Amino acid sequence: MSPRFRARCQVAIAGYAQSPIERRASRPLGVIALDTALQAIADAGLARDQIDGFVTASLLPSAGPHESVDGVSIVTANWLAQQLGVHPRFACGFQGFGQLAGSVMLAVNAVASGAANYVLLHRALHNPPVGRYHANPMTEARGALQWTAPQGYFGPLAMIALPYNEYLQRYGASRDAMAAVLVEARANGARIPWSYWHDRPITADDYLAARVIADPIGVLDCDIPVDGVAAFVITTADRARDLQHPPVYVAGYAQGSPRRARLPLHWPLDDIMEAGFDIARRLEESSGLSPQEIDVPQLYDGFSPLVYFWLESLGLCPVGEAHRFVQDDGIRTDSGLPVLSGGGALGNGRMHGVPQMLECYLQLSGRAADRQLRSARVGLACHSSPHYGGAVLYTGEPL
Amino acid sequence: MSGDEHRPVPVPDEQSAAFWAAAAEHALALARCVHCGCFAHPPGVVCARCRHPKPGFEFTRIDGAGTVRSWTVIRDSFLPGFRGAVPFVLVDVELDIQPDLRLIGRLVDGVGAEVRLGDRVTAVFDDVAPGIAVPAFALERRS
Repeated sequence: MSPRFRARCQVAIAGYAQSPIERRASRPLGVIALDTALQAIADAGLARDQIDGFVTASLLPSAGPHESVDGVSIVTANWLAQQLGVHPRFACGFQGFGQLAGSVMLAVNAVASGAANYVLLHRALHNPPVGRYHANPMTEARGALQWTAPQGYFGPLAMIALPYNEYLQRYGASRDAMAAVLVEARANGARIPWSYWHDRPITADDYLAARVIADPIGVLDCDIPVDGVAAFVITTADRARDLQHPPVYVAGYAQGSPRRARLPLHWPLDDIMEAGFDIARRLEESSGLSPQEIDVPQLYDGFSPLVYFWLESLGLCPVGEAHRFVQDDGIRTDSGLPVLSGGGALGNGRMHGVPQMLECYLQLSGRAADRQLRSARVGLACHSSPHYGGAVLYTGEPL
Repeated sequence: MSGDEHRPVPVPDEQSAAFWAAAAEHALALARCVHCGCFAHPPGVVCARCRHPKPGFEFTRIDGAGTVRSWTVIRDSFLPGFRGAVPFVLVDVELDIQPDLRLIGRLVDGVGAEVRLGDRVTAVFDDVAPGIAVPAFALERRS
């Protein structure tokens, strides 16, 4: 059996909407989701009763004790369908970490199989109004957490700090090199009207002066928690061609997974990289395109070191060289590989993989306005760490 | 370590009781599958190596020597019980007893100690509450 994706370019994105990305929104998350969904349906030129599929990943990705309340702190597919007054044939949620990529995979499979004709895919992210995002007042550690929390190993900053320091030590890299990533993400985010960081670029000095929380991770290495919703309409390529915007086709996708059982939040560098190599190989098998043919490779950057890990595992620069590659202007949107042209999570706020997917859609459909890149034929939207994540390959023309 | 009053304490369960009982005596006892003889940490319901669904883990005391594979300095903790303890160093240690068997713990030498990849460490214990001790690590003296 060929690993080639049988639905290659048979499914496409037909429209989108993105809410303003705010630190704390004045309206409930569900209301923003409802508005954004209706805008995306209108953008595709459809009526709400044509939507027969709903897909999302609804996780509130916090280590804190915040409650998950549908319509308030999370928005599930079923909640959104019900509030829209639609009775979909297909509604489901993705449960893993690479949520945007995973949701797209569910939506594409649903459309390709005929389980739904028009899927509304949304992602709603919330910043709880009370307490710090990841703070947790636990005084007892049960279950999996008993192995790490009693030592003070807790939360995603410590989680990413270990493989990042492993990288710096192994390759003799300096923490300062990451300034190039932050400056680029924020410069691009500053040009995006809906970004939380709109009009707020930073300098390398700003990055270097920012507070360090879990060496070598500082506050600016982490995306900022926000309220925001994005929605996309996904349908068959044939149907998309009859709609008002140029379709953007799904050419393939791939997931990675950890090969070993580990302590909670323990992400050794080699676990991350070997899954990244799997993803690169699977993407090529799935689509027939090599990573070098991607001209809009949108890498996931919820924590800045993930940019290095994706660059190297996809073969966009040699292993151990990403820290030099970024310092040599390798990821400058105007002169290098535009891996953060959409601003990423660091340049927009904690929208998970939304900025990556949205940038692929906008660039490949020619809808990026004054940010339009000269060459935008093949895009890649990555999400999460390679070993818990995934990536979706898009094209502006069917292959 | 100051500010320990509200540090989260482990709550032993069926899978972990033997580990914490040994830790209280300042001994590192890890789960070993009775079928393949491999250590698993944390112990799951299935052996991580041979996949046996009834691993019948025996907790075996080991000496806790290992090698530093990475580290971080926690300067601000999301756990309020650790806020009085920052900054502190956490080390990711590969134990000698089995390749890729890892444990994460506080480095008791503190933030002033110069740590390098490959440094040798040995397990020690933090007494966090009456009858409860948590594994940590100390640097072996470089010769």
